[in-house]
Amino acid sequence: MKMSKLTRRMALSAGLSLLSLLAVNAPALADGFPERQVTLVVPFAAGGSTDVVARIIAQKMSEDLGQQVIVQNVAGAGGNLGADNVARADADGYTILMGTVATHALNPLILKSTPYDAEKDFAPISLLVVVPNVLVVNPALPAKNVEELLALLKGAPDQYSYASSGNGTPLHLSGELFKSMAGVEMVHIPYKGAGPALNDVIANQVPIMFDNLPSSSGHIKAGTLRALAVTTKERAASFPDVPTVAESGIPGYETYTWNALFAPAGTPPEVIARLNQSANTALKDPAVAERMKEFSATIVGSTPEELGAHVKAEIAKWTPVVRDAKVQMD
Amino acid sequence: MDLVSNLALGFATAASPANLLFCLIGVLLGTLIGVLPGIGATATIAMLLPITFQLEPVSSLIMLAGIYYGAQYGGSTTAILINMPGESSSAVTAIDGYQMARKGRAGAALSIAALGSFFAGTVSTFLVAIFAIPLTALALQFGAAEYFSLMIVGLVSSIALAHGSIVKALAMVSLGLLLGLVGTDIYTGTPRFTLGIREYADGLNFVAVAVGVFGVAEILRNLEGEKTRSVLMAKVSGLWPTRDDFRRMVAPVLRGTAIGSALGILPGGGAILAAFASYTVEKRMSATPQEFGKGAIAGVAGPESANNAGAQTSFIPLLTLGIPANPVMALMVGAMIIQGIVPGPNVAVEQPALFWGIIASMWIGNLMLVVLNLPLIGLWVKLLTIPYYVLFPIIMAFCSIGVYSVNSNVYDLYAVAFFGLAGYLLVKLRCEPAPLLLGFVLGPLLEENLRRAMILSRGDPTTFVTRPISAILLLIALAVLVVVFLPSVKAKREEVFQEED
Amino acid sequence: MKSLAVDTTNALCGAIFIALGAFFAYQSFELELGTALRMGPGYFPFVLALILMLLGIVILIQSVRTDSGPLGPIALRGMLFILPAPIFFGLTVRGLGFAPALFFSALIAAFASTRMRPLMGIILAAAVTVFSVVVFSYALGLPFERFGPWVRF
Repeated sequence: MKMSKLTRRMALSAGLSLLSLLAVNAPALADGFPERQVTLVVPFAAGGSTDVVARIIAQKMSEDLGQQVIVQNVAGAGGNLGADNVARADADGYTILMGTVATHALNPLILKSTPYDAEKDFAPISLLVVVPNVLVVNPALPAKNVEELLALLKGAPDQYSYASSGNGTPLHLSGELFKSMAGVEMVHIPYKGAGPALNDVIANQVPIMFDNLPSSSGHIKAGTLRALAVTTKERAASFPDVPTVAESGIPGYETYTWNALFAPAGTPPEVIARLNQSANTALKDPAVAERMKEFSATIVGSTPEELGAHVKAEIAKWTPVVRDAKVQMD
Repeated sequence: MDLVSNLALGFATAASPANLLFCLIGVLLGTLIGVLPGIGATATIAMLLPITFQLEPVSSLIMLAGIYYGAQYGGSTTAILINMPGESSSAVTAIDGYQMARKGRAGAALSIAALGSFFAGTVSTFLVAIFAIPLTALALQFGAAEYFSLMIVGLVSSIALAHGSIVKALAMVSLGLLLGLVGTDIYTGTPRFTLGIREYADGLNFVAVAVGVFGVAEILRNLEGEKTRSVLMAKVSGLWPTRDDFRRMVAPVLRGTAIGSALGILPGGGAILAAFASYTVEKRMSATPQEFGKGAIAGVAGPESANNAGAQTSFIPLLTLGIPANPVMALMVGAMIIQGIVPGPNVAVEQPALFWGIIASMWIGNLMLVVLNLPLIGLWVKLLTIPYYVLFPIIMAFCSIGVYSVNSNVYDLYAVAFFGLAGYLLVKLRCEPAPLLLGFVLGPLLEENLRRAMILSRGDPTTFVTRPISAILLLIALAVLVVVFLPSVKAKREEVFQEED
Repeated sequence: MKSLAVDTTNALCGAIFIALGAFFAYQSFELELGTALRMGPGYFPFVLALILMLLGIVILIQSVRTDSGPLGPIALRGMLFILPAPIFFGLTVRGLGFAPALFFSALIAAFASTRMRPLMGIILAAAVTVFSVVVFSYALGLPFERFGPWVRF
C-alpha cells in the first residue's frame, strides 16, 4: 500500500463512530489520482440490474484508470445504506457510488427522514445509462394492448392486482402513476425483488406487472409474458414493436430507471473530472455498448453538471407523483 | 432419444479439458470457503464475478455452480466438526453430526454426509435433466396460499426437532418467527423491531444469527468448565462408517433424496425446508427416536441428502425460467447477463450446450467432490486434535470475516455477539437453537404469503382450503400433528415423572 | 416425583419468554394492527408475541412440578472475551483496515481461555491474520481495505 501524500490525523481516541472520518479530508491532486484501488459501492444486492451495470463499467474503468475499480455491494433499506456510506466517506474519489433513481430521487421523497441529502451530500460524476420499464401481463389475460387493459380495469374496478419488485421502488411508482393518470384501480402486490414477482406473473397468480425491461426481456421474447408497453418516451431499441404507454392512450406518461456515478460532496473537481472522463471512455467502448444493448439499457453519459441538473429535474418530476400516490414510509 | 442426445451434448461440453478444470477450481474453492466457518458462497461468487468476464459463458457458469455445491459440502464439514453451520441447510446436520463428532465419530459422520450427498446429487441431477420442464410447470402452481400452507407443514414438523420439552421448542419457533420479522414490512415499508437501527432495515442476517446461536454459543459452552476438566471430544474411533452404519443410512438417504428433490424446486426456501422435513421424517420413522439429538446416523444421512438434492433441483427455476431461487442463483443470473445471455425460458432452446453442459457438470462436480472429500476426512478429523484454545480464536476470526463479507454491514457483527450471548443463555436454559433457526427462516415467508394470499383473495380466508394444493398441504399438516401428538401423549403418560432428559 | 421445589431453570426460561413476548407485543402494538382480513404490519407479530407469552406461562407453570437440576457453571471469562471480538472487528474494520482489525479481534478472542499464554496469543493472532489476508484479500479479492485511514500516513 502506497503512502498517502498527506498525513492523516490518527483517529485513535475512543472514536466509536465512523463519523470521525469526516473530520479530515486531504485534497488529492488529480495528476496522481488514482494511486490505489477505487471502491465502487453498489447499494443493491449482487446480481441485480444495477450491479450488472456497475460491474460492466467498473471493468472498463479499471483499464482506463490503471487501478482496480472494485465493486462492493452494500445492500439495504432500498439503497439508502450504501448511498449513506458513500455520503459519509472520505471525499477523495476513492469511494464512489452507483446511484439510481431510487437513491437520488425517490427515497428522499418517500421517506419521512433520509440519512443524506441527495443533492448536497454528493458530487455528481456522470450519468451512465437509462433503463426502460415495461408493463407486462400474463398471456392468459384478455388484453392485447394498453387500451384493452384499461377497458378491462374500468369494467371491473378493484378486481385486478399488479405485482412490483417492492414498496416504494421505481416500478411500484410506475404502477401508481399509471393508475392515477389513467384513472383506473388495481391493487398493488409488493414482492421482495423482481424475481419472485416475475414468477407469480408467469404463473398467473398475479396477472399484471411493472418491471425493468432487462429483467423481463427473456420472457417477452419467449412468449411467457406479453409486453403491453414500455414506459419511456420513445420505444426501446431492443423491442421496436412494443409501443410506449404514452402513445397508447396515456399521453405524457414517462418513467424509467437510471444509473449514475456519484462521489461524496467536497471531492476535488480534478478528481471528479478524471472519474468523469474514465466513465465516459468506458461508455464509448464497443464491448460495453454491445452488452448494454443486449441488456436493453440506453447509454447516456454526461458531464458532472448535467448529472446535477438531471437529479434536480428528477426530484421535481417525482414529487407530485409520490404525493398523489400517497406512498410514505418511515 | 432427445434426452440421450442432449445429455451427450452436455457431457461433451462439460468434459472438455478447460471446463473440467473450471469445474475442479469451482468445487475446490467452494469446499475451501465452505470449510472456513461463516464465509459463504454468496460473497465468494460475488467476488469472482469479474473474473468470469474473461471466461467462456459455459465455463464461468460451471465454475460458479461448482462453488455453490462445493460450499454445500464444505458447510456440513464445519457443522459436524465445530457446530458451525455455514449454510442454512446444514443447520440441521449440526444437530446430530456434531454429537457424533463429540462421541469420537466425526470421521463416520463426515463420510456419511459425503456419500449421502453424492447419491442425492446424482439422482437429483438426473431428475433435473429429465423432468426440469414439467417440474417447472408444477412449481408454478404454487401461489401465495400454497406457500403459506407449505410453511405450516414445515412449522408443524419442526416440533420433531425438539428432543426435550415440546413446549420449549414451540416457544423457540415462535421467538424465531418474531426475529425473522425484524426489518422493513414489505407491504407498508414500516420498519419493525429494528430499534431504530437502519442497518437492520433488511432484517437480521441469517449467517449472523446462525453463527451466533450455534457456533459462538457452543464455544462459550466449551469454555465454561475449562478449569475443572479437559475440554470436549472423545477419542476418535474409526474414520470410516461401519457395515452397520451403512445399513442404517440407506433408507434415510433414499427418503432424504426424494424430499430434497421435491422441495428444492420451489423457489424461496424450498431447500432449507427439505433438510428440516427430512429430519422430522427420519425421527418419526426411526425405531429409536430417542437417539436423535444424541448422534443418530439417520439424523445426518437424511438431512444431508435432502439438502444436496435440494441444492441441485433449485437450479430448475433458474435454468428453465431464469428466475433465481436464492441469492446465489441471483448472482448466476447476473453472471449470465454479463456474459450477454438473456436468462429466460429460451435458454434451453437457444443455448443447448450451455443448458445441458451445466447439468452434466453438476454430476461431474459431485463426483469430484466425493473423490476429493473422502481422503480429506482424515485431515479434517485431525483438526479436532488441535487444542481447543487454539482453535476457537481462529474460528472467531473467520466468523467475523465471513459475516462481514456478506453485506459489508458492521451491525451484522454486533448481531453475532448478541446472538452468541442469547444462544448461550438459551442453551443454559435447556432450549435448543434448531427450532429457533427454522422459525427465523420461515417467519418472513409465512407472513409475506399469508398477507399476499389474503390480499389476492380480497380478504377471503377460505382461499386456503378452496385451492386444492393448499388444501392438501393443510391436510398433511393436520396428519403430522396427529402423528406427532398421539405417541407423545402416550409417552407422556408413561414418563410423567421424568419430563425432559 | 423428585421434589416439589420449583425448577429455577425452567422458571427463568418461562419468565424470559414472557418478557420477550411482552416486548414484541408492545412493539407490535405501536404499529398498525389492521384486521384479520386486511392485516397491518403489526398484526402477525402481535399474534405471535401473544403465543410466545402463552408458551412462557405454560413453561413457568410446569416448572413448579419438577426439578431437573441447577444451571451449572457460566462461562463468564468466555463471554468477556469472545463476545467483544466480533464487535471490535466491526468497530475498527473500516478505520484500521482489515488486517489490524482482524489481528486484534483474534487476540481478544484468544484470551477467553485461561490456558492461553500472551506470546502464544500474539503468534496465533498474527498467523490467522497473515493467512486471512493472503486467502481473502489477495486470493479471493474481498473488497476490504487492508490498512484503513487510521493507520495510513
